[in-house]
Amino acid sequence: MKTAAVTEPDSGTDRPTDGARPAHRLPFWVNQRLGLLVLVIALSAFFGVLRPAFFDDRLVLFPLLRDISTLTVVALAQMVVLSVGHMNLAVGRMAALGAFFAGFGYDRLGLPLAAGLLVCLVGGCAIGALTGWIIARTGVSSFVVTLAMDFALLGLVSLLYSALTENAAFTTRPDGLAELRSYSLADICAGPVCGSPAIPQLAQFTVLALIGLGFLYARTRMGRELLLTGANPAAAELSGIPTGRRIVLAHTLSGLLAALAGFMAAVGTGTFSASIGDDFMLPSFLGAVLGGTLLTGGVVSVVGALLGTSLVGVIRKGLDLLGVGLESLNIYLGCVLLLALSADRVRTVVSYRKVVRST
Amino acid sequence: MTTLHDRGAAALPALRRFSRSTTMTLLCVVLAGYVALGISSSGSFFEGPSLRTFLQYLATPILIGLAQMVALCVGQLNLAVGALGGFSACLMGVLMADHGVPAGLAVLIGVLSATLIGLVTGVFIIATRINGFIVTLGTMTILLGAQYRLAGTRTIDGYSATLRDLGRAAPLNIPLVFVTALVAAALLAAFMYRTVAGRRLLAAGGNPLAARLSGISTDRQIVLAHTLSGLLIGIAALTATASLPGVNRSVGGDWLLPSFAAPIIGGVALTGGSVAVFGTVLASFVMRLIDTARAQFSLDPSWVNFLIGLVVLGTVVGGRIHQAHLGRRGGPPGRTPPVPPRSGPQPAGALPTTGGTR
Repeated sequence: MKTAAVTEPDSGTDRPTDGARPAHRLPFWVNQRLGLLVLVIALSAFFGVLRPAFFDDRLVLFPLLRDISTLTVVALAQMVVLSVGHMNLAVGRMAALGAFFAGFGYDRLGLPLAAGLLVCLVGGCAIGALTGWIIARTGVSSFVVTLAMDFALLGLVSLLYSALTENAAFTTRPDGLAELRSYSLADICAGPVCGSPAIPQLAQFTVLALIGLGFLYARTRMGRELLLTGANPAAAELSGIPTGRRIVLAHTLSGLLAALAGFMAAVGTGTFSASIGDDFMLPSFLGAVLGGTLLTGGVVSVVGALLGTSLVGVIRKGLDLLGVGLESLNIYLGCVLLLALSADRVRTVVSYRKVVRST
Repeated sequence: MTTLHDRGAAALPALRRFSRSTTMTLLCVVLAGYVALGISSSGSFFEGPSLRTFLQYLATPILIGLAQMVALCVGQLNLAVGALGGFSACLMGVLMADHGVPAGLAVLIGVLSATLIGLVTGVFIIATRINGFIVTLGTMTILLGAQYRLAGTRTIDGYSATLRDLGRAAPLNIPLVFVTALVAAALLAAFMYRTVAGRRLLAAGGNPLAARLSGISTDRQIVLAHTLSGLLIGIAALTATASLPGVNRSVGGDWLLPSFAAPIIGGVALTGGSVAVFGTVLASFVMRLIDTARAQFSLDPSWVNFLIGLVVLGTVVGGRIHQAHLGRRGGPPGRTPPVPPRSGPQPAGALPTTGGTR
């Protein structure tokens, strides 16, 4: 589902046209989400044929889906700020800060699993809200503010860990954390029917985030206002939208999702340390942008973020199984990003010309 | 942004303007910090060896800050600064150590390939019209992979002794690499402030539409900016290779954030159209001073990042408040500052952009 604030000729919306301009409807193959889905399935089949081990439930698919779950939340955290035309370069550090709060809660306060998660989310919200408030209040570009925030948190989180722990990581694990880490749907049985052992239980957070954001952008007034703020801030301001507050909201949500991703990453690796979120920046942009979210704001795609992240995850895993060394993986990933975006550009230009010619 | 014209009567107002500029503030901060460090180290900081180390590790930060500044001046961002620098440094190292290429040729190949990659990036951006942010994100990923492939997990240190000697040479306790960086900065300043091509770059960054209407190809300026950026990164890779004990895949890994911090603290607008060569150089000094102070008081290295983050934030927020203050007093603002969103409708042209190509 792709949600755009304004109907543009190249946005490739998949909603039914309102009948006002039926000639301008683009052919279905321009739909980026559909292309991504086909690509993900085709690539999975391709890797599966070459290496049957690709479909191994426990050894390949389970960790793959766990990574995709975490990185999708990271991509969503980026998508939310992109929707108002901003960026969040500190997404990885906000994740680290969130994980720090959770680890602190478990280690020092002896909180149960859920309460620690709550502390983590509140911490993420707070840092996101602070960032958003600085941006909205001063009008400084979000790039600079989040860059500075990234610097500050990079130092702060390391300082906090080294001040509060002996070996720079919280090692206390509350009850339920190990289960959350290794349980899949196969551990939930409704009578004789059990779920797939490939799908990790950690994915429940991702599904919740996807549904929540999908509802926000597609159904609520607040979501439309976020998109309008991104598409044209001046027009949004003139139509009575409190753009400053919407910007703060977007950054708060971003902080919340980043903290959630940090928690998921910490659960996945089993330790709460300062290195969580180090490599989140690239996947956050990859997932969101491949999914069709515009950097300029006003257009988001919640499902696209999932599909974009899945594409990157499948390629990474597949190449890994094919024996392509770790060193070459990044080369291919970068090429895929550039190729995918160029192809998308060519596709929209070609189809737009076709539409123009036919009218 | 330092336009100091010493011409008779114009000198005094110009001097007054200069005294209120970012550059002046930075200059004071650098001098005060330097003196404070010297006093706290009971004078040993003023002596040759410590000064030499201080300047030795200043060359690369200056050059990468300038490389980012060139990209920023046309309204582009270059995320590939660290990856490209690391790749070029490893390329030079591998060519010299493994393939026996003479040092001069290897350095030339390294710098030229960095320039070429910058050129290709620029051409790709204007050919596909994809946002420069995303394109450099892609090239960054590719180059990181390429660097890893070149260097692997080893540290390449068996390269030319001449280059190392040059890298460590310091006549009068002023390291040669630092002189290289200063010369590069001076040439860049001359190019930006004195040549037609440099003014075109600034015009294209300041107002692309106006530039296009006055017959300047903005596309060409974007390519030129990325090429220049690549060239400066190549020189930065050269200074890094010459002064580091060896190159490995972690070279360039921590260049990205400082490369943005230097121009931003130095007073360059992210929206394009302004350069501050001297300011960027001074900002690198400030960051190096923070690092030296950290070593002096043997604090945790994390303090450096924390403090630099606060300095960047303080600089931009302070600058914005200062601008708003000037605006309220009815002074003629050179560039309309974007009004804080809640205080009224914004002029469409002054919205903070995120570095798009158009």
